[in-house]
Amino acid sequence: MVFSCIPFVFFFLPLCLLLYYAVPFSWKNGILLIFSLIFYAWGEPLYILLMLFSTLLDYTNGRLMERFGTTKFKRTFFLCCSMCINLLVLAFFKYADFAISLINVAFGTSIAMPGIHLPVGISFYTFQTMSYIIDLYRKEVEAERSYASYLAYVSMFPQLVAGPIVRFSDIRGQLHDRKITADEIEKGLMRFMMGLFKKVLLANQVGALWEEVLILSAADTSIATAWLGALCFTLQLYLDFSAYSDMAIGMGRMLGFKYNENFRYPLIAVSVTDFWRRWHISLSTWFRDYVYIPLGGNRKHVARHLLNIAVVWFLTGLWHGASWNFILWGIYYGILLALEKYAWGKAVASLPRLVQHIYAFLIVVFGFVIFAITDLQALGEYIRRMFCFGSNNIADGRFVWYLQNYGLAVAISCVISCPIYPWICQKLSNMDGKARLAASAVAGAGVILMFILSTSYMVSDTYNPFLYFRF
Amino acid sequence: MTYIIISDIRIRKTTACVLCIMALSLAACLLAMPKKEFSENENRYLAQFPRLTSKTALSGEYTESLADWLADHFPMRDFFMGLKSSAEIMCGRREINHIYVAKDDYLIESYAKPQNTERIIDTLSAFYKKVKDKNADVSLMLVPTAVTICSDKLPNFAPLSNQIETARKIYDKTGIPAVDCTKKLLAAASESQVYYRTDHHWTTFGAYCGYAAYCEKKGIVPVPIDSLEANIATDEFAGTLYSKVNDYSHKKDKIVLYTNPADKLTVTYPDTGVATDSLYNMEYLAKKDKYSLFLDNVHPLVEIENSAADSENVLMLIKDSYANSIVPFLARHYKKIYVFDTRHYKKGPSSFLEEHSEVSDVLILYNMNTLDNDSGIRGIY
Repeated sequence: MVFSCIPFVFFFLPLCLLLYYAVPFSWKNGILLIFSLIFYAWGEPLYILLMLFSTLLDYTNGRLMERFGTTKFKRTFFLCCSMCINLLVLAFFKYADFAISLINVAFGTSIAMPGIHLPVGISFYTFQTMSYIIDLYRKEVEAERSYASYLAYVSMFPQLVAGPIVRFSDIRGQLHDRKITADEIEKGLMRFMMGLFKKVLLANQVGALWEEVLILSAADTSIATAWLGALCFTLQLYLDFSAYSDMAIGMGRMLGFKYNENFRYPLIAVSVTDFWRRWHISLSTWFRDYVYIPLGGNRKHVARHLLNIAVVWFLTGLWHGASWNFILWGIYYGILLALEKYAWGKAVASLPRLVQHIYAFLIVVFGFVIFAITDLQALGEYIRRMFCFGSNNIADGRFVWYLQNYGLAVAISCVISCPIYPWICQKLSNMDGKARLAASAVAGAGVILMFILSTSYMVSDTYNPFLYFRF
Repeated sequence: MTYIIISDIRIRKTTACVLCIMALSLAACLLAMPKKEFSENENRYLAQFPRLTSKTALSGEYTESLADWLADHFPMRDFFMGLKSSAEIMCGRREINHIYVAKDDYLIESYAKPQNTERIIDTLSAFYKKVKDKNADVSLMLVPTAVTICSDKLPNFAPLSNQIETARKIYDKTGIPAVDCTKKLLAAASESQVYYRTDHHWTTFGAYCGYAAYCEKKGIVPVPIDSLEANIATDEFAGTLYSKVNDYSHKKDKIVLYTNPADKLTVTYPDTGVATDSLYNMEYLAKKDKYSLFLDNVHPLVEIENSAADSENVLMLIKDSYANSIVPFLARHYKKIYVFDTRHYKKGPSSFLEEHSEVSDVLILYNMNTLDNDSGIRGIY
């Protein structure tokens, strides 16, 4: 189930919250667990067994490690057990087809691909359970005694399918003791609404334009159209993904949990390094804490540091999907980060602020083109369209047509991608008396209208016209 | 100051409460309200409540159908769909569901790059090869749609694919004698309405232009339009494009019916066994889908006899729904017309021709938009 659909917004979430608030505290985790399992089973009725297996494995290993892990060797044994199985499961379900296709190309074999479809959220929850077992190994947390609580942590529906990747150490205390106040519920609900609006009203619109541009023939794609398409994909990916995080964080708050922020306006970064401090934070810190720093980070000699960067960014790329373009995308960032560190980082920092923004933004937009197109040949073709001055028009009528149809959606998306909302809140809190009240009332009415509009988009979305059939 | 902070919180809490009440009451209405089976506005059957079986449950199909059912029976569905379209048009969108929101209140279906031209050429050529040695005189009329004829009404910069080019290619490669009505339609479009503003069909006047082009080709003297009886059947016609765009404030269309008082018609529908004396089924005027009044919507085969026709000729008309409104004009010149809807007529019109040696003319008539994605063309041969 996705968050921005009618069953979720009008049935699942209200029902879950009503029950959750109605029962005494000791039952709340149970309610949460049941609803999370329903949530997962809604889209993946069979793969829920895989998730149960994965959590049971780490829970058991955790208990065993605590009980019998008297020496470092034994602890390492339990850690390896858990890590190997987790990674094997992930490799099998996510990378088997890709690996077999590589083998077929390398050795000229023709092994049939199993054609496994990817279980929803497997990359996210596997990383959550692995963070638990590693933290346990490092003695940074205590083992969870109750399997139900552990399962509730991993499967919690707000963050199950698309993050943020929540660490057990961050949530453990809240799992057993948290406060649910009316104020938090209200703030959480507003955060959820913001995410819903971002997803339904903006991300889907700019995404539609990107899809249109993607299927154009070369002759119909002017350079401006190609760049507009790339911009739209960048906006779509950011708005879509951060909207999910907004909704997750908002629902977490309504349930009494505090999740860490996952995005901090990455599109206004001033450098590539800065971008990765703002984009998908829960993933980049995961790789930092569990791969980069254990490898030695930047505390060893330069060659080793470069190797560490290469490993981390290769893995980051690969995590996003079993395809060459994601690996390319990871390497692209690895190289750029290394260059910023050792070549031009200081020079960039001394440029005017605006130039820094443009520098980072162009790198990000170009990067997402690599991210967007899985077929390498099509990717090469699209990049050619973006840079091929001379043979194609710089702009054409179709570009103007797209601007007319989607210009407003693109413009609003750009504004929302800047920290305009915190800026307004800041201004509001500085206002006094009546002006502030009026602003709150306007904001409240605005949220209600946007909710009605979002509902209309959700209702119409499933409408799949096949009118000729009956005419 | 404290007072203000308190009221500020109160406003926020009120907003949150309103949102919750809205969500809950819409959900309650959805469950409690009686369900419609058919949506007049969208002209389609709404999703039925899915049946739970172990197979559908495990594949995830059940939950998917359940989500469709919820969306289809959402309270005030028409209002919400209209709201979305209005919002999009307000934001500058001029293309919704592949329909251009054009000038002068026109909705015009876009023409996607044709995908099946080669297959269509093969089918038509095979049919033509089979029947060209028979007595019957075969011709092909590919009617361009509003996107070509009314291109001046399209929104500025709307991307275009060329229908004329595709039609030309089909005429040339199949070798079937062409009846090209493009010029007549273009000339007429500058003065009056040849396509409905809210529907993908041509108006009866547009059909008359097609008829005039056909007559010119065949050397028949067309009946002047002024000598026909014109009646406005309805001015409340909201067609397929209207339903796809869902802008409920859009201006509706007139349907004008032309009849020749001299004709003495018998219209037989062999599939239902009904016989009448009219080409129009006026019962459809009470429904949303008013274009269906022409030849009673869809039938695999319709037989039309005109005992007062001006010749002894017999016509086989192989066609899509565009032809339903040209038949009233053609009837004057044929003692008998067999009308085939090849989506539903499965026995193959060429074998029909073999069995009916009295057929003197064959007209294949499709519009350029349905031609490419209609399953009917496959039924020709």
